[in-house]
Amino acid sequence: MGCGERRRGGRKSASAPYVSGASSPNRARFEHVNSFIVDGLFVATASAYLAACVLFIAFLGNERFSLAGKLAPRLVALGAALHATHIVVSSVVWHVCPVEGIHFAMSVVSVLACAVYLVMRSRYRIDVVGVFVAPLALTFLLASHLVAATEPARRYRTSILPVHVTVNLLGYALFSLAFAAAVAYLLQEKRLKEKRLEGIFRRLPPLDALDRAEHRFLLAGFPLLTIGILTGTYWAHEVEAGSATDIARAVFGYATWLSFAGVLCLRAVAGWRGRRAAYGTIAGFAFAVLVLVVYWIKSVGGPAAVAAG
Amino acid sequence: MIVVVGLSHRTAPLEVRETFATSADVLPAVLARLASHEELREVMFLSTCNRVEVFASASSPDGMAAAAKAIRMALCDHAGVGDPEVVAPYFYDRIGSDAVRHIFRVAASLDSMVLGEPQILGQVKAAFDAATAAGTLGNHLGRCIHRAFTVGKRVRTETHIGAGSVSISSVAVDLAKRIFGDLTDHTVLLLGAGEMAEAAAKSLGRGSRHIRVCNRSFERAAILAGAVGGDAVQWDALGDELTRADVVVASTASRAYVVTHELVKRAMKLRKGRTLFFVDIAVPRNVEPSVHAIDNVYVYNVDDLEQQVAEAMKSRTSEADAAEKIVAHEVADFEAWTRGQSVAPTIVRLRARTRAMLMGELERTLAGRLRHLAEGDQAALRQMMESGANKLLHAPTTRLREIGATEGGLDAVRSVQYLFDLPDAPEEPGASDIMDPDQAGSDADRLRH
Repeated sequence: MGCGERRRGGRKSASAPYVSGASSPNRARFEHVNSFIVDGLFVATASAYLAACVLFIAFLGNERFSLAGKLAPRLVALGAALHATHIVVSSVVWHVCPVEGIHFAMSVVSVLACAVYLVMRSRYRIDVVGVFVAPLALTFLLASHLVAATEPARRYRTSILPVHVTVNLLGYALFSLAFAAAVAYLLQEKRLKEKRLEGIFRRLPPLDALDRAEHRFLLAGFPLLTIGILTGTYWAHEVEAGSATDIARAVFGYATWLSFAGVLCLRAVAGWRGRRAAYGTIAGFAFAVLVLVVYWIKSVGGPAAVAAG
Repeated sequence: MIVVVGLSHRTAPLEVRETFATSADVLPAVLARLASHEELREVMFLSTCNRVEVFASASSPDGMAAAAKAIRMALCDHAGVGDPEVVAPYFYDRIGSDAVRHIFRVAASLDSMVLGEPQILGQVKAAFDAATAAGTLGNHLGRCIHRAFTVGKRVRTETHIGAGSVSISSVAVDLAKRIFGDLTDHTVLLLGAGEMAEAAAKSLGRGSRHIRVCNRSFERAAILAGAVGGDAVQWDALGDELTRADVVVASTASRAYVVTHELVKRAMKLRKGRTLFFVDIAVPRNVEPSVHAIDNVYVYNVDDLEQQVAEAMKSRTSEADAAEKIVAHEVADFEAWTRGQSVAPTIVRLRARTRAMLMGELERTLAGRLRHLAEGDQAALRQMMESGANKLLHAPTTRLREIGATEGGLDAVRSVQYLFDLPDAPEEPGASDIMDPDQAGSDADRLRH
């Protein structure tokens, strides 16, 4: 995924990134059907996430909508299942490995984040954090379609690349959840400090549950991020990456690692819990998002990327 | 006439109210000091978390303003407030039927921060008992407080104002759960071993595995710890206990802060930032307010908790209208009784005067022209005159009582006084007769049960 990535065709369909020129009427019909399936899955996924968002908000806003609170996580699960199907079908149709290329990577992050949320929500009692997870998943889904589908140039396809991308995707999924828990924590903490407990967020999970969840997601994601940083450094050295976007990506990657390392260390050593840890987590996640933004700038062929590439 | 002077959660913040708060042990002295003012005939002192009020009856109908002033001065003296003008904006006066309405509304919990809360009636009863024991209640104010008990009971039974009770304890538990989630693995520290600590322990301690009781008197701490299944700790160990506890319920009678900013700051370093939640139900407060500003520390005092309760109880306000109607009806009844009482001296004088005149004339006749009558015959004549006087006065007495109970009755009473040349200025009801403590207590109990 270096600066020398080559594009395979234009974006004829929002969800058909790898469409190439049709060579025969049969092939054209086949690709049309495939595009229809992939587009349908995309729309269904986005609808499920959107409906989950609406139900979560309705549940938070009105005590009478308790059914909405039960349905919303199920819609997240439905959205994640459709999303995973969408990724698999797309990768099969266009013969692309889903862990290669930012287009799929962003999708995979949101699916993994949803999956981890669905598994952990009962254990950590953070069901309501879904109100942040669902929009995040929807954002990643839509953002992935803003990113032009590219595949790595042959010289960047090293054996370590799939490992690098896979651990980073898992890490990003966990950090997304840590971020959601941190935001929920800050909201809940503010309400408790200001002693205004009524309002739309009155059903947020307990402070300690949010703090604990945030910490555990960070703990789980940090080793993956560390492996991602190490493999990324090795990969960059191997392919001799040195463009402006490569450097920016590396800088933001290291900043992400340092932020999360700082949060975890200060928590263990100096008792940085709660609000400070939440701010640190949000800062770390912001750097992680900047890494994706650099990918995005590069994929849409922004001026810097063009200049660099 | 009755006068009420005081301050409450509606007019004064907690930091002002706690200055005037009075514990039960000094109440007799405060009552005695109030009763020593010649402007005041009857006195009762009510001190709760939400209000500090003096209910009194003035020595004369024209002395209401003087009575109110005397009460303010006495309250400021008691609280050690040098300049009464400083706290003047926090005080309110209620006089006459406004005062009666206020007392009834207080007893009915219509003036409480938490509409329909059940504790206030017991607190009024305790204040009534203290005033009765101190001998500062008479028939007028005493009767008013009795009616207040009835009003409180009526409002609770005839409306749904107390339905779906949300107490301070339940709100404290809810807050603790918003912070910690499950309380099973958390430690609750009770600072103070009084009734409030026990009540809080019953709610908060129900879900908690560890309860520790810290009190100046270790013996009392041990008794409460035994009752709630916890451990008693020495008062000196408070600093260490703050590093262990997750929820601290403070309810000591200390007038100074027991938990200071510095103490908590030190504890939080040792706790490595673990969250600490203070429930400060003491008035005056036990926990320094600035503690709330420390990271991961939350302090909720009585006002904060009651505010949360009030938010939860907004649905009760529709019931308040029905309760207000009951109060208005009872105030009218009491006013009628008061006016009826004011007629009594006129009736007594009218009867005495009529009887004296008739009997005087009879005696003079019996000593003159009818002196030949036998003793039996004279006794029969006296009996006849007595019966005649009673029959003659029966209708006027009844009418006078009826008219006297109405709002314009005073004019009719004055007319009778004029027609029969009776002394004017009807006496204040309850001018005599300080209430007997035993009788008052039994009356109050009867009304409450």
